[in-house]
Amino acid sequence: MPDPKLPSILVVDDNHDNADIIRDYLEARGYPISVAYDGDEAMKIFEREKPSIILLDVMMPGRDGWQVCREMKDHPTLGSTIRVVMVTALQDWMNKRQALETGADDFVEKPFELAALAKVVERNAARLAPTS
Amino acid sequence: MPSYKQLFRAAQEKIPTVAASIESLRKPIQERGELVILYFNFDRYTKVEEIYGWEKLDEILETTTAAMRDFFRNGPFASSQVMVSFVNDDDFVLFHIPAPDVPVPTDEEITDLTVRLHQFIATRVEEAYGESIAALFDTYVGRAHLYYDPKIRLERQIYRGIRDAAASSVSVEQRELARKSADLRETLRTGALWIEYHPIVITDTQEIFGYEALARGKMRSMRRPEVMFEVAAQSDMIWELSRLCRNTAILGMKDRLEKGQLLFINVDPHDFTDPAFTEMDLDVPDPSRVVLEITERTAIKDYPKFRGRLKDFRDRGYRFAVDDAGSGYAGLGSIANLEPDFIKLDISLINCIDANFIKQNLVETMVRFANDQNAKVIAEGVERAEEYETVKQLGVHLVQGFYLHPPAPDPVAPPVETLSVTGK
Repeated sequence: MPDPKLPSILVVDDNHDNADIIRDYLEARGYPISVAYDGDEAMKIFEREKPSIILLDVMMPGRDGWQVCREMKDHPTLGSTIRVVMVTALQDWMNKRQALETGADDFVEKPFELAALAKVVERNAARLAPTS
Repeated sequence: MPSYKQLFRAAQEKIPTVAASIESLRKPIQERGELVILYFNFDRYTKVEEIYGWEKLDEILETTTAAMRDFFRNGPFASSQVMVSFVNDDDFVLFHIPAPDVPVPTDEEITDLTVRLHQFIATRVEEAYGESIAALFDTYVGRAHLYYDPKIRLERQIYRGIRDAAASSVSVEQRELARKSADLRETLRTGALWIEYHPIVITDTQEIFGYEALARGKMRSMRRPEVMFEVAAQSDMIWELSRLCRNTAILGMKDRLEKGQLLFINVDPHDFTDPAFTEMDLDVPDPSRVVLEITERTAIKDYPKFRGRLKDFRDRGYRFAVDDAGSGYAGLGSIANLEPDFIKLDISLINCIDANFIKQNLVETMVRFANDQNAKVIAEGVERAEEYETVKQLGVHLVQGFYLHPPAPDPVAPPVETLSVTGK
């Protein structure tokens, strides 16, 4: 059962297996979760469900994670309160710089342990405004 | 794709775009038969972005938008107006259709309006972000007066009008530049310059390690060094200005710095091509107390030659800092190439670092890298306790920023114990 005190999370990954594993794991820890498998779907769910934290895969066909992040952060009503965590296999300085340019708040390097992901979610949850 | 509505509204400024405004203008223009377009060019807003990052410029644009709304709410322009901005840029356009029987504003009225508007916005920006940002930008207003011609499509008339108003704002800007060039020549002739010394402290103990010299022009138009140097670059007087700034800073160092404290001076890579800038020409009794700061932002064309010049200075005892490190995409390799003694992190990495884990990771990487290179990391622009605590936790060696000390004409009271220099 989702814990109403925990922030809602949107998981975006074009790889269904990855997305489902993350969903199951975080759901088991009580987070309310929604899942999107591409950028367009992510934007629709984002506007409908208004999640507090978004876990966003960078490499997706069509609109990639960078673009989706920028659009979410630019959203006139929701953009200023959300935390966006980029999930990326790219580890170098330039990519982290690019993540900053798009407005992202945090990142997880692939491949990652689920426990490490949980820590990242927790530290971003702690940064959310008390009302959300 | 952004939603249909978002396309017609600038994302950050929350005001309509040109395309969205034309429909609402059509009827009033046809009735009045004329339209005044004012083009607002906020010069050097791009500098804000360069120095502080896009988040800061977004905030400032929001403040500017709100200030413009308040400014135009009263007065002759209140009667009928639509304010628009260009998406993703920092220029604003105002369409003014005077109420019936009200004449269109004259050139004098526009000039008067420009001065008052600039003052109004600068005050608001200063209240929100401090004097250093407010003094950075200028406001230029261009004007176009359009008489409605039913034979020509209204959209085209409006876009041409905007182009004309933009061009006229540029010519205002050029006149201003000529005036500022004259101010700069006067500054150079009379040495009308003073130096503010901004303390750099040891993160753990908060003791003063050294001072960065910041040159300020005495003339009002030359207050901000960025402005002074931009005018110097456009007027081909960079070398002269750099010489004056260096010499004034070093002169002040002699009786103002405590023993052992270092003086950080900004040097442009172009200065190294100045024949009067050599390791022998600087009048410094102890070169090991002078740190030359070179910004990562300037492209260095002839790397081998440049490194050769650095070596000459290094051999005499001078030390080096890479300024604005991590601002671009250059990565750590180009920093390593300069073999710096100090690495000054770009302000955009420090601004709100407590809330951004990517910034924290980048700074952590830089500290590790610096430790490997036997260099020290300086966090510039530390303005809040949370930022200070975060960089301290990340192992940043030295800190500079308003949270601890603002820049001051005279160094703050010396520390109880004079520090020994442990640069490299």
